[in-house]
Amino acid sequence: MGPLAAISIAIVLLAGARADEPLHKQIDRQIAAGLKDYNKVASPMASDAEFLRRVSLDLTGRIPPASEVRTFLADTSTDKRIQLIDKLLASPEYARRMEEYFDVVLMDRRRDAKVPGTEWQTFLRTAFAANKPYDELVREILSSDGADPKTRPAAKFFLDRDLEPTIVTRDISRLFLGQNLQCAQCHDHPIVDDYKQSHFYGIQAFINRTFLFPTVQDAKAVIAEKAEGEVSFISVFDPKKVSMTTAPAVPGRKPIGDPKFDKGKEYAVAPAKNVKPVPAYSRLAKLAAAITAAENVAFRRAAANRLWAMMMGRGLVHPLDFDHSANPPSHPELMTLLADEFAKHKYDVKWLLREIALSKTYQRSSEVTPRTQDVAEDRYAVAILKPLSPEQLGYSMTQATGLTDVYRADLAKNLTEPALQAKLAPHLGPFVRFYGTRPGEPEGDFVSTLDQTLFVKHGDQLRTLITPRPGGLVDRAGKLTEPSSVVEELFLTVYGRLPADEERREIGEVLRTTANRKAALNDIVWAMLASAEFRFNH
Amino acid sequence: MERCEYACGTNDHRIDRRLFLGSAAAGLAGFAGFNARASELAAAQKRMLVIFLSGGVSQLETWDPKPNTDTGGPFRAIPTSVPGVHISELLPLAAKRMHRLTLVRGINTAEDEHGRGATIMLTGRRTEPGIQYPQVGAVAAKLLTTSTQELPGHVQITPGGGSGFNKDDAAFLGPKFASVTLADGKPPADLLRPAVLTSDADREREALRQKLNAKFAQSRKSAQTEAYTESFEQAAKVVAKANAFDASREDPKAADRYGRHDFGRHMLLARRLLEQGVSFVKVSHTNYDTHHENFDFHIEQLGEFDRPFSMLLDDLADRGMLESTLVVVMSEFGRTPKINDRYGRDHWSKAWSVAMAGCGLKAGAVVGKTNANGTAVTEREVNGGHLFHTYFKALGLDPTKNFHPAGRPIPIADPKASAIAEILA
Amino acid sequence: MPTLNIDPTKTRVLMEFKHGRPLIGCRFDPAGRYLFAASEDDTIQRFDLLTGEKTSFVGPKSWTRGLAFVAQNPAVVPLAAIPASAIAGATTLVRKPAPFTLLSGDYHGKLHWWNGTDDAPKPTNSINAHDGWVRAVAVSPDGTTVATCGNDNLVKLWSALDGRPIRTFEGHLSHVYNVAFHPNGQRLVSADLKGTVKDWDIATGKLVRDLDAKVFHKYDTGFGADIGGVRGIAFNASGTQLACIGITNVSNAFAGVGNPLTVLFDWADGKPKLLKPKDAFQGTGWGVHIHANGFVVGAGGGGQGRIWFWNPADGANTHTVTVPTNARDMAVHPDGTALAIAGSNGTAYLYTMTPAPPAGTPPKKA
Repeated sequence: MGPLAAISIAIVLLAGARADEPLHKQIDRQIAAGLKDYNKVASPMASDAEFLRRVSLDLTGRIPPASEVRTFLADTSTDKRIQLIDKLLASPEYARRMEEYFDVVLMDRRRDAKVPGTEWQTFLRTAFAANKPYDELVREILSSDGADPKTRPAAKFFLDRDLEPTIVTRDISRLFLGQNLQCAQCHDHPIVDDYKQSHFYGIQAFINRTFLFPTVQDAKAVIAEKAEGEVSFISVFDPKKVSMTTAPAVPGRKPIGDPKFDKGKEYAVAPAKNVKPVPAYSRLAKLAAAITAAENVAFRRAAANRLWAMMMGRGLVHPLDFDHSANPPSHPELMTLLADEFAKHKYDVKWLLREIALSKTYQRSSEVTPRTQDVAEDRYAVAILKPLSPEQLGYSMTQATGLTDVYRADLAKNLTEPALQAKLAPHLGPFVRFYGTRPGEPEGDFVSTLDQTLFVKHGDQLRTLITPRPGGLVDRAGKLTEPSSVVEELFLTVYGRLPADEERREIGEVLRTTANRKAALNDIVWAMLASAEFRFNH
Repeated sequence: MERCEYACGTNDHRIDRRLFLGSAAAGLAGFAGFNARASELAAAQKRMLVIFLSGGVSQLETWDPKPNTDTGGPFRAIPTSVPGVHISELLPLAAKRMHRLTLVRGINTAEDEHGRGATIMLTGRRTEPGIQYPQVGAVAAKLLTTSTQELPGHVQITPGGGSGFNKDDAAFLGPKFASVTLADGKPPADLLRPAVLTSDADREREALRQKLNAKFAQSRKSAQTEAYTESFEQAAKVVAKANAFDASREDPKAADRYGRHDFGRHMLLARRLLEQGVSFVKVSHTNYDTHHENFDFHIEQLGEFDRPFSMLLDDLADRGMLESTLVVVMSEFGRTPKINDRYGRDHWSKAWSVAMAGCGLKAGAVVGKTNANGTAVTEREVNGGHLFHTYFKALGLDPTKNFHPAGRPIPIADPKASAIAEILA
Repeated sequence: MPTLNIDPTKTRVLMEFKHGRPLIGCRFDPAGRYLFAASEDDTIQRFDLLTGEKTSFVGPKSWTRGLAFVAQNPAVVPLAAIPASAIAGATTLVRKPAPFTLLSGDYHGKLHWWNGTDDAPKPTNSINAHDGWVRAVAVSPDGTTVATCGNDNLVKLWSALDGRPIRTFEGHLSHVYNVAFHPNGQRLVSADLKGTVKDWDIATGKLVRDLDAKVFHKYDTGFGADIGGVRGIAFNASGTQLACIGITNVSNAFAGVGNPLTVLFDWADGKPKLLKPKDAFQGTGWGVHIHANGFVVGAGGGGQGRIWFWNPADGANTHTVTVPTNARDMAVHPDGTALAIAGSNGTAYLYTMTPAPPAGTPPKKA
């Protein structure tokens, strides 16, 4: 290679292009560039135990069993973290976790009405297991009319919202564009200049001709569509009350005009009593492509931001549904990078999650130090604490108390993820009831309510989970004689780490001096499960 | 400025960017304004009691009788302690206390369906897609409960069903102000320490929990972890006050006076809770949806209602609490003047009544009139929005102010309505 | 009394008496000349079966259901004697009937005396009988005593002549819905909301026994209220049977979802026999009668009305007539050939249980 070529290569390397630099390295570079003296200020890398617990919760929705903790801590290979990430991504638990996460995101825990939850969940889980491209998944959700049993589960998004136009419009814009246009229904958004009333109705125009057939109440209803109908809107702030309309449009993009039809030819199947009409041209059919189009930058931004937030505890755009020019991302270049790379990689979810997990930013410790105390959360100098979701909490409780291991042993040769899940699922009810948001309500800020606390303090379910059963935690720990080993077993199982010396000493002392070791074990396990260290993903 | 104890970048300790993105909107009074208000109120703590007669009580058999008309039915109208004001003979004890009551007789809520009617009466708004408004109890709990109050601020006592905590009725005000349901007056099961958990074990494991949290907090702390650990402290306080929910601890003579039936017990429990400083209590009495044999059933139900209602008014007055307690007796709607062929009355929202008493009201006043046979409002027609304004004005608050959920300004009461000034003191 | 020619399966409307407001109760006077029907307009209407005339009895300030009579040896006017002209609606001059007293109880608790044959009737005496509704009125076989019952859970006896109180029977724990004298004049039965039927010795005032009609009562836990009561009550002429009618199987008290039921007690041993409508019908039984021919007839309604005929021997519902309105009371004509229905639509229907004449005149409205 000549000197000129070498210099140009060097220039290219020094320039920002870094075309073939892995994404996770670009992430770290961008994050570091976002804070003065980032590398001096930022917390160190998370310990192995910290990392194992965090990535298990993020990618499989559960804490790791004590055996896995021991194995991982003892593993001396230098690439064990990469291997762990890949192992978790390849596991059936990953698909289950993504199904649980996106079920809540897309359906807000609405009660099943027209599509059984199990069918919808299977649809999601299968998609994530096969690593279906995210844009393809969204297109399926936005294009199924529910008529074909094979694709009906995907239509749950529309059907179980009763196709209510205000709610569907709001949720399409909120979930797939990262823009909550609800306040733009009656007027241009009062606070956000970018959100116009025409944006709200542009989305609604895709669905304004649709209706549920035969009736809204029918559990087997499908989506039907008329050949006519326009949205019309008046701004409540407009003194002249001028009535406006729009063709279907994605915010910021050109409206999609309806083709003209000769009179009498507007329908392929004309409307009649008890007959589902089929228009010659369907506005609804344009929705999926319009939302996921390459030109619709909002879609890939919202998607990448969502996956980032799932892992990192906070979106680059925050809140997730308020992407607009006056609310820039914490790291604008990184946001664009993530979005564009996600699209370039054909919306490969596993690929994006892997890159995020590989980053130092993700693997940073959550330990606050005097250096990081005053640093804003959105600088990612310290890993952000994330409360466990109801699903993560419930299944982590069953794992921590040993019930999951008991079921694994019960199933023995027949142990598969679905079989184990079938045994665990009945235990989830109270966790969803107490820790989940109300049906139909998007997840809001973290709250710790009286009923949740009483559930932990006095409730039956927790007590029953902790109660010694053969193979369970209290039983296993009870069989160990040396208090230090007991404490180690407890900490590895519940917290996923080794106890500190002080902890070994103090809790060991409790065990040594108690009259009733079994009772003491129950109390210790309860205290650990009730503690903030368990409640949060750190 | 005080040194922030934890990562200042967390949600609760940075003013939400959204609120600043439109300075005009941020200029409106937000939560900060209300915290100041609440501390003013702490000096004169107010509270509210709603008695919800489920199913739609007949205004013709209660507050606005029309005897000897084609709609009046067989009951008399009896004179009350306010000259010129008559109510149904089915409320003899309440009639003697009319000088404490305020009647609104010109209500037209134009909604004959139970659920939507209840929404109008409890939120002051009609049902709208895409937004849920908080119920009056959540609003009252938010605006009236002081930070030193340990008991939940929003309690409802239902005849049956399950005890527990509701997330729904506080809407965007958050689960802290959602109601605690005491079904048949019983507290949620988990409120009381279960027998199998001894107080020693409770104490020991609590101590260990706190120790573990303290250690964790040395290195990892956020507004969320603080909220989480603090909720145990708060729960312990409520548990310590669990007796507040036990009406059997009241003087047995009081139980006799209120009547030893379910509603009597529930009203006595309501008194107890109000005395303990609970900001809002709703007691439901079931049921009044008398499509069939309206008259017999109203004898029975009002027979249960009249006594404890009157005793509670007396007790609030005797304890000097009536002037700081707003009492409202409501249903989701009234009943048809037309009597159907099975001696029933059906749903009716065009011309009906609500009775109130206490804080901020003109005692003994009547506002609103209906025509001779109760089929239309003839004077001062009001709806659920007007009533909602009136409640909070009576409590000394400004219902035209806004809440700001997610930065969006939402007035406490429907801006299309206003308070019924004629009955405000 | 001979009751020839009765064939329940031939039951048909003979006359209709229209009033502008819903009817609550109905009775024939002992001679069977008049049909009295109490209405939601606080009046009692008297329909003259021979002339078709309608007279308003005005005075009570509330509703009436209980109607009873005192008459000296009334000569029963057989319906067969009703001239075709009356049925056709023309007014015929007929002899004035022998005087009789009407007793009515209203929902303000008052008991009123009337001269039943007056042209412009007003109460001749009124007393405060009960605190709350008077739900039923009965007159002793010898005409000397009036029994009333009501919402104060009490049963009371009064002198039929002057209203002097004779006795109060205490013991019911809920509203007393109905009261009836045993034909032998020595016993009185009263029936309450909760389904207790009390059998009293009139002379001593003592309770002889309770009969169990709890099948009529339900505490509807969904609505938190009691529904029940014996809505219609009747002894047979010899006093060997007592019929009670009401509603049972209530699954929704506030929508009236339940079924009519007649309970026929054997007076001697108090054993009940249940007489049910053959076809499913949602509603309440309001009136019942044990016919001299041995069958039991009951009437009631919900959205529509029904008349049921039962054979007490096997409990079979042998015939059912559809009434176009809720039948809120039923009375049987003293000549045994006809029965009257008080309709919630404001019309009193006179049904004959005799076959139509070959070239029959259509029923005429009065």
